[in-house]
Amino acid sequence: MTNNFNAIEFQDVSLAFGDNVILNRVSFHVRYGESKIVMGGSGTGKSTLLRLVLGLLKPDSGRILVDGEDITNYNEEQLMKVRSKIGMVFQEGALFDSLSVYDNVAYRLREQKVPEETIQAVVMRMLRFVDLEDAVGKMPNELSGGMRRRVGIARALVGNPKIILYDEPTAGLDPITARTICELALKLRDLEEVSSIFVTHRLQDMEVLANEYVIRDDSGNLIFEHEGDRLCLINTKFIMLKDGDIIFSGTDEEMKLEDNPYIRRFLS
Amino acid sequence: MNLITRVLVEVQELTLLIWRVVRGLSRSPRYWSETVRQMDTLGFGSLAIILLTGTFTGMVLALNSANTLQKFGVQSVTGQLVATSLIRELGPVLTCLMLAGRVGSGIAAELGSMLVSEQIDAMRALGTDPIKKLVAPRIIALVAMAPILTVICDFVGVLGGLFVSITLLHQPSTVYMASARDAVDYNEIIGGLIKPTVFGFIIAIIGCYKGLSTTGGTVGVGRSTTQSVVVASIMVIAVDFLLSKLIISLLLEP
Ligand SMILES: Nc1ncnc2c1ncn2[C@@H]1O[C@H](COP(=O)(O)OP(=O)(O)OP(=O)(O)O)[C@@H](O)[C@H]1O
Ligand SMILES: [Mg+2]
Repeated sequence: MTNNFNAIEFQDVSLAFGDNVILNRVSFHVRYGESKIVMGGSGTGKSTLLRLVLGLLKPDSGRILVDGEDITNYNEEQLMKVRSKIGMVFQEGALFDSLSVYDNVAYRLREQKVPEETIQAVVMRMLRFVDLEDAVGKMPNELSGGMRRRVGIARALVGNPKIILYDEPTAGLDPITARTICELALKLRDLEEVSSIFVTHRLQDMEVLANEYVIRDDSGNLIFEHEGDRLCLINTKFIMLKDGDIIFSGTDEEMKLEDNPYIRRFLS
Repeated sequence: MNLITRVLVEVQELTLLIWRVVRGLSRSPRYWSETVRQMDTLGFGSLAIILLTGTFTGMVLALNSANTLQKFGVQSVTGQLVATSLIRELGPVLTCLMLAGRVGSGIAAELGSMLVSEQIDAMRALGTDPIKKLVAPRIIALVAMAPILTVICDFVGVLGGLFVSITLLHQPSTVYMASARDAVDYNEIIGGLIKPTVFGFIIAIIGCYKGLSTTGGTVGVGRSTTQSVVVASIMVIAVDFLLSKLIISLLLEP
């Protein structure tokens, strides 16, 4: 075995729904500790790409590796083990409407038969993390869109997954909540060494994720820093999807220098 | 041709679902507390409509049959006629048609909306097999509850017939009850319990299948719900014929 540096790797992955080709021999990788920001217009297959990582869908051809394991031909039972390493924030939240916020967040631990005291501690910590302690007893239909999204994030973080997939976690939120969510992602990237794929349309998210970082100072406080001119973050890369192909892959500095008209329009 | 292919594909998918449920049941985790919850909501939740259905069916059976029987001077066998009709046929079929309407549609709607709102995907992403957590408990619950509800339906039906016999037909209750008791024998009851067991399975599996194969958002959920009721009801009636033939030749005509 060679050393594996990739948390997620796609090798020549193709997928079509009928005649509608979504991905056409797409290859990319996400290194351990790296955040990959995925951009692309509506319907270009960003959510589909995340579903492939989880094994919720199978590619027509090509191979998908997660944490060094080739999951392409895994059956549902083998996939369950892989999925336990992954947290997924669904585009619409996908909260279980029959369960309260508490039970939603506790879901994964309940399935793993973790003792209830432990579950309670974890759930309250996660809800504090997304600033929703007050909503613990509410049902999903009593929450606003942004709150649902944050509960979805809390639920995805339970069990400390080393890989997190965010499907447009900031879409349709006010700038302050969106900023909070990006800061969460930064904390996970810089302090917990989580690898992630972050799907987003918003330029503000890209700016934050590509140019800021978090450190913990001597007294344990978190400090958000801007990379400035001296430093260049190498743990955040971009890819852009269009018509089934990756038309750009690289850092934000490289992207700003691209002269592809589609990317220019996307960034303006 | 196109229709035939589509039906064959659906049958294949349904068989696959059944196979996955069976395989799922042979391995842990099994969701027993979820199963008990489903027995409560699907089974006891249907008690009221089953009581009403049974009572009125028994009443109308007594009313109609007494009229005809009187012509032959054998009004005294009203009880037997009511009990036999209920146990053999009307109890199982009516109970399960009601269940197809109330429970089958509910299952299809619930699973369908979970599917279109990505809750099924979220469940899989969080490490749960929806076949084990959602489908198997509903099937077990209905297979267990449909015969129990059928027995209740038969029982209140006979009582409904008794009520009509006493109040409208002015028969002594002892005549009716003695005649009804004649109808009840071991083989009849076994036959009358096989049917709802099979029907319960059919209703649950079709509800789950239709729910989980929903496409096209909320409109699709409505479509799946309707289809599950229609398909399950027709299946109940068609399979009832086959089972009746089988039961008559195996149990009732030795
Ligand atoms: N189950 C499915 N069956 C058929 N087509 C599908 C299915 N799921 C997705 N598609 C198609 O795949 C394409 C990509 O969908 P996807 O949800 O991945 O887009 P997206 O990039 O996430 O878009 P958005 O930014 O709007 O969320 C769409 O054209 C959609 O119509
Ligand atoms: Mg999407």
